[in-house]
Amino acid sequence: MKLQRERQGNLHGGRGWYGAAPEMESEKKKAAMAEDSDVDELLAALGYKVRSSNMADIAQKLEQAEMAMGSSAVANDDALFFQLAADTVHYNPSDISTWVDNILSELNGPPPVSSPPLNAPAPLEQQKRHPEALPSDAEQSSITTVELPLSTRRPAQVYDLEPLPAVNVTRARGRFAYSSDPQMDVVDPSPRDSKRIKFCSSPPSSSSSTNDAATSTASNLPAVVVDTQEAGICLVHALLACAEAVEQGNLQAADTLVKQITVLAASQGGAMRKVAAYFAEALARRIYRPPPLGGAVGCPSFDSVAFDDMLHAHFYESCPYLKFAHFTANQVILEAFAGFRRVHVIDFGMRQGLQWPALLQALALRPGGPPSFRLTGIGPPQPDNSDALQEVGWKLAQFAETIRVDFRYRGFVASSLADLEPSMLLGKNSDDCGGAENEPEVVAVNSVLELHRLLARPGALEKVLGTIRAVRPRIVTVVEQEANHNGGTFRERFTEALRYYSTMFDSLEGGGKSGGGRDQVMSELYLGRQICNVVACEGAERRERHEAVEQWRERLTGAGFESVPIGSNAFKQASMLLALFAGGDGYRVEEKDGSLTLGWHTRPLIAASAWRVAAAAADPRSSR
Amino acid sequence: MLPEEEEEEGNGKTRFFSINDNVDLLAEILGRLDGRSLAVAACVCSLWSAVSRRESVWEAVCLRHASYGNGAAAAATVTSTRSVVAALGGYRRLYRLCIGPALDRLAAGGGGRVPPEASSARHLSLSLSLSLFSIDCYERLGVGVGVGVGVGVGAAAAAAGGRQQKPASLLFLSKPVDVS
Repeated sequence: MKLQRERQGNLHGGRGWYGAAPEMESEKKKAAMAEDSDVDELLAALGYKVRSSNMADIAQKLEQAEMAMGSSAVANDDALFFQLAADTVHYNPSDISTWVDNILSELNGPPPVSSPPLNAPAPLEQQKRHPEALPSDAEQSSITTVELPLSTRRPAQVYDLEPLPAVNVTRARGRFAYSSDPQMDVVDPSPRDSKRIKFCSSPPSSSSSTNDAATSTASNLPAVVVDTQEAGICLVHALLACAEAVEQGNLQAADTLVKQITVLAASQGGAMRKVAAYFAEALARRIYRPPPLGGAVGCPSFDSVAFDDMLHAHFYESCPYLKFAHFTANQVILEAFAGFRRVHVIDFGMRQGLQWPALLQALALRPGGPPSFRLTGIGPPQPDNSDALQEVGWKLAQFAETIRVDFRYRGFVASSLADLEPSMLLGKNSDDCGGAENEPEVVAVNSVLELHRLLARPGALEKVLGTIRAVRPRIVTVVEQEANHNGGTFRERFTEALRYYSTMFDSLEGGGKSGGGRDQVMSELYLGRQICNVVACEGAERRERHEAVEQWRERLTGAGFESVPIGSNAFKQASMLLALFAGGDGYRVEEKDGSLTLGWHTRPLIAASAWRVAAAAADPRSSR
Repeated sequence: MLPEEEEEEGNGKTRFFSINDNVDLLAEILGRLDGRSLAVAACVCSLWSAVSRRESVWEAVCLRHASYGNGAAAAATVTSTRSVVAALGGYRRLYRLCIGPALDRLAAGGGGRVPPEASSARHLSLSLSLSLFSIDCYERLGVGVGVGVGVGVGAAAAAAGGRQQKPASLLFLSKPVDVS
């Protein structure tokens, strides 16, 4: 016993990820040796009295309980479990058997134990191969923030646990390493067992574990109960393993893993659960994809542009990313327009036109008075034949009239930006307001989260960049997601997207709103659709081909543009804007090679950059 | 707030000085308050209520708490700002919707974590407030704009009427601050 405790002490102290492996091996031997006494020694060290002969039975009961709770937990009823744990009357809590029986009876007869999900050895191998796909800091924070609400709940029994290594880890080539936290380790990777890890939500301060029944009997029913942090890490592993399986075409394994992910996700809370749910859904869509012919493959793609706009509006309100984008772009454009009396802005993604009132107001107040302002807005076709672009134009015109800025508007409907021609955009009006005809008109092109869609079709981006060049803009503002979701393999894309959206969801949670507000839910749905597109779609349908600012830099410089550094005014304005957001100290504005990025903690999430046509390629701009 | 009393020396007659007789003076004084106190002052009596609704008073309050900042020293003159703000709804509204909540947010957020000398760096920018204000004003235009739109876009007008959304772009300022 003492020797065991020492080993456990080592585990306590050791923080290494892989350090647990050798100890586990010897623990296993010890466990085997201790089997002769009736009470299982390892568990006795914890204060549980479990007969080894009953282990299989208990394992089965635990599994039943977990299934029952799992199904109710999946139905978003965490409270039920905790209430059960708290309210169920327990006598002699060290007797696991009766404890579980109590819970089971509370649940009124759980459903029969379903067949265990397959444990395909393949995914485990794959998991092993990329240990560095462990959650980044941002995800770690998402996991840790998750624990907060749970730790406040104290179930009826609280055990002071010593680290008890799961003895079977060794069988999986000793590479699995979970949290160095002295909690239960959970992995059951043995290829012999037909069952994989099963988890159940449980308060972090109390968990029980039972050895894999294979040590004592030939039964294949291990049931392990772990705390949510463990579950969180296993969740991430499961997601990555599933992505790998999908990439290799191993759809059965992927299918199993998806189900597992769903169960695991239910054990989490907050951001992690939602992210996992969306990713699981996207993976499921990818796996069960209906034949590519006809109809909406994969995602619930743009069934309604109005719905999309509505989600976009909620996303605008609930977090600062879009506001940051608009304000930064406006500042850049304002500075570029200094001194000119006629200005023209071309907006590639008009939507509700929320970017422009602020610019109009700033132009109205600039020294020297407002210029005459022309706006060309581009938007997608509306299915219900309403002319949304025209409405937005009217609103802006009305607004401009109140602040007395001379305003003209033109809307273009285009299903893709590549359909535009320079002549359309330049559209010289011969009916100019009198007197200003001889003044040069300076053009700015603004693209907020629009360019990445062009990457779905080869050649489209080049055409659009050519169009932009032909318009001879003084400044081009580009705002894009700061992530590479257009990488080589599916797995890379998936991993990157998982990190990115975890951070995004984290920032939504940490935004200080009364959690679960409507805005937040809508924003999550908005992001969820992006996730679905990134993961489940391919080819021309995969429109969310985000790329990092370096990649855009390459593309744009290759197309004849040069970078214009964003000035400090924009930086200050962005910082001030963030100070106004609740939870504002999680957001970070950073300047990188002349572009500004806004991120959550250490991870930049959106990047704004400014460009102009490189001097060598440009004609004198003042001519028309 | 009580009317001051001055007694002329040596004279049996007392001269009674009431601030209410000098509303311009009252306006000057009220213009040096912060928003909350000004709102409280508006509850004193009808005269005070009328004075404290003056745009000039609120303009003084706004400009006292939000500034253009050093970089834009050559920025807009007061008159042009005045006309723009008036068009957008007035200084009182600007304070109520933007500057007030923003100041609260900065005080709540900055007080605990930022040392006092750094908090001055987080002064509220007038241009930022104006931008936010203009977005809000623009959103409010949408409610009911369908009525004004011409016959040519009748279908659009119907759509606009049906799609009235409450202006919400400034809600982020007034949502409760997470103090955890």
